Amino acid sequence: MFGPKNHDCRTRRIPSQGNSARRVQRAVLGADFTQKILCPIAPIGSVRGGGASLPPLSICINTQTPLVQFLPPTDDVRGNEAAGAPSTLDGLREGIDYRYSPGGVTRMVYPLVRRLLHERVLDQAHWVALNPTGPRLIRIGELTLHNLSIENARMAGYGKVKEAIWGRIHELDAVEEHDDLFWSDAFSEYAYYNRFTAELIRSLDKELDFDAFYIHDFQQLAVGHMLSTLKPKIFRWHIPFDASTIPEKWRSMLSTYLNSYDVVVVSARRYAKSLLALRPKGKIVRLYPYVDPADYSLPENGPILAASQRIGLQPADEVALVVGRMDPIKGQDLVIDAMATLALSYPLLKLVLVGNGSFSGSQGGLGLSKSAVWRAHLEEMVKERGLEGRVVFTGHLGQEELDCMYQRCRFSILPSVREGFGLVAVESWLHGRPVIVTERAGIAELVRDGGNGLLFAPDAPGALVHQMQRLLDDRSGKLSARLAKNGRVTAKKCSLDAAERAEAELLTDVTEAS
Amino acid sequence: MIGLASLLNLLLPYWPVAVIVALTVLLAWLVGWLVGRLIRGGSPQMAVAARRLAVVMVGLIGGTLALQALGVSPDILLLVVALLGVTALVALRDPLGNYGAKYFSDIYTPFKVGDTIEVKGYSGKVIEINPMTTVLLSDKEQLVSVPNASMIHDVVVNTSPQAWKEVIIPVSISGNIDLPAFESDLLKTLSKLRARLDPRFPPVVTTKARSPQSTDLTLTLMLRRPEDRDAITAETNKRLTEVLDRVRAGRR
Repeated sequence: MFGPKNHDCRTRRIPSQGNSARRVQRAVLGADFTQKILCPIAPIGSVRGGGASLPPLSICINTQTPLVQFLPPTDDVRGNEAAGAPSTLDGLREGIDYRYSPGGVTRMVYPLVRRLLHERVLDQAHWVALNPTGPRLIRIGELTLHNLSIENARMAGYGKVKEAIWGRIHELDAVEEHDDLFWSDAFSEYAYYNRFTAELIRSLDKELDFDAFYIHDFQQLAVGHMLSTLKPKIFRWHIPFDASTIPEKWRSMLSTYLNSYDVVVVSARRYAKSLLALRPKGKIVRLYPYVDPADYSLPENGPILAASQRIGLQPADEVALVVGRMDPIKGQDLVIDAMATLALSYPLLKLVLVGNGSFSGSQGGLGLSKSAVWRAHLEEMVKERGLEGRVVFTGHLGQEELDCMYQRCRFSILPSVREGFGLVAVESWLHGRPVIVTERAGIAELVRDGGNGLLFAPDAPGALVHQMQRLLDDRSGKLSARLAKNGRVTAKKCSLDAAERAEAELLTDVTEAS
Repeated sequence: MIGLASLLNLLLPYWPVAVIVALTVLLAWLVGWLVGRLIRGGSPQMAVAARRLAVVMVGLIGGTLALQALGVSPDILLLVVALLGVTALVALRDPLGNYGAKYFSDIYTPFKVGDTIEVKGYSGKVIEINPMTTVLLSDKEQLVSVPNASMIHDVVVNTSPQAWKEVIIPVSISGNIDLPAFESDLLKTLSKLRARLDPRFPPVVTTKARSPQSTDLTLTLMLRRPEDRDAITAETNKRLTEVLDRVRAGRR
């Protein structure tokens, strides 16, 4: 979806910010939370590589979700492995033999690693991830993917714990439900998975002598502690962080794990502030998540029309777009309810829901059924509210069709009841479409209501309906144009260019400090 | 042939010595193993020390008997050993005292690197425990070196919050043990003790040192009641041994 690709000749690329992104805001939180450092962006070569005195780095990245999923595991790849040669994607077809994993983490990490390798900030990168159906090793240029798998019996326990952490952090489950989580048998399997991962990383480190470790997301939190190395370790916490939601009985364990990292990166200022409650020993850094504008295109009318017809949209339809995996946390139900209120007054309004399950929910991944259950629930809601024909479920869309949907819509909505950040709002801005954003998303701190987007509180009755009406009633298009124009400017803060500088500095700081 | 016969004639009178040495080696191994089995539920350091002491005692007795078989008077030998021992003890009294104190404080003194303690009017964070001294970093960022002997002779106050709760059990496992499986099984079995442990602090396994031959870990437990310390330590050591046996046998 966002791997190296040839853009269709019928599309225009969304202009990248290039070197125009001259400043990136980064808050470094230590003893004095109010201290804020604005880092002027210097040419990338002065940080690492590019003829500078500092040698490029070798890092090990760890995520739960693998960059590439196989559909299903292919004999070609297995054959390569059996022959002892490193596997590659050469000769395999994207979308048929494999796909790039959907979801924010891999979508962010891969373009960044690609860029840092290209800019010689990194000279090699190894990426360890859980991939039960993948071959052991895949090489994509200078990036090596190491896939690991654990026995199904252990996977079940691991899945249970990660879903429990997810549910509690997102306040879907009550505190009492998971009070004894870290004493459960399932937790011993979570520990097993993390230790297993740490052991693989340790053996790679023995061979390759990494300069730093970059661990992503809460599923991998214990890996840093289990690595037991003095080398620098960075942890990126991708989901929301609100210390008040964390059960008392979880705190010491979370602290133990977080304390093993030199830096903990979060996606929003309020998460950083809240994280201070656990008093982590390392630095807390806020870095906005990002996308690579080069991965998005502005399709011409032909492809937009074709994509619209394929999913049953009529030319006159006014489309409200929601992009997100099928998960209760994503709040698609709120938009269906809002649609029920607006359907009669706005007969041309159609709601398009794009998205499938995550890696955890997919057959090629962990096979948890959460997304299928949620989609069935949403379909039932549509039926009950008499909205058949007004709500379209597209499932997963490839990047080009997704670009078409952004171009086709009047506005997009990020309705999550909890959201670590919400890069889909940035995608909407890149496509010049106004976006209605939940206050519960990390990106809400970048949204000025009526300036570059519209904000709503998901638990306030009628709030979403009101904001949708503002855009639907904007017949002159002035409001939409203003939101879109200002949104494009805000999107620069969440671009790969901005992230490249900030992440390169972070890696340089942490490796030099060590 | 003449040479070999002469050599045999020369060595023949000493066969009892060879037998005594061989028996001593065998007995030392057997006694060491037995002692290890007998106190397997206790502290691992104590077990190692007791095994070593038993082996040395058997070796000393065997050596004395061997010398006696050679015609050397054991009285003279024992006198020489005793004199050398006394001389060494007098000459190295302080360092040996510190070393011994360090050895025992590892087992009995309730503090570790990272804790804040008060001893002999000094207070600070323990940043190093070497064979001779315990080094504290004071609030004024001064390094305070306290002889280990003081840790045995003087009153030591551990002022770290919740220090009384903490039980740290060192675990050394062979390098060929499946560490993820070991840790997973250990956490599972220790969760059965949770009624006796502070529910806010689940057990934590930390890797301290690695080599191809072995992995040194620590297991940190937090007690619910201070009087349970000995019972929990003994029970945990017993369970540790069981888990190791299970993982070795490849069972789960």
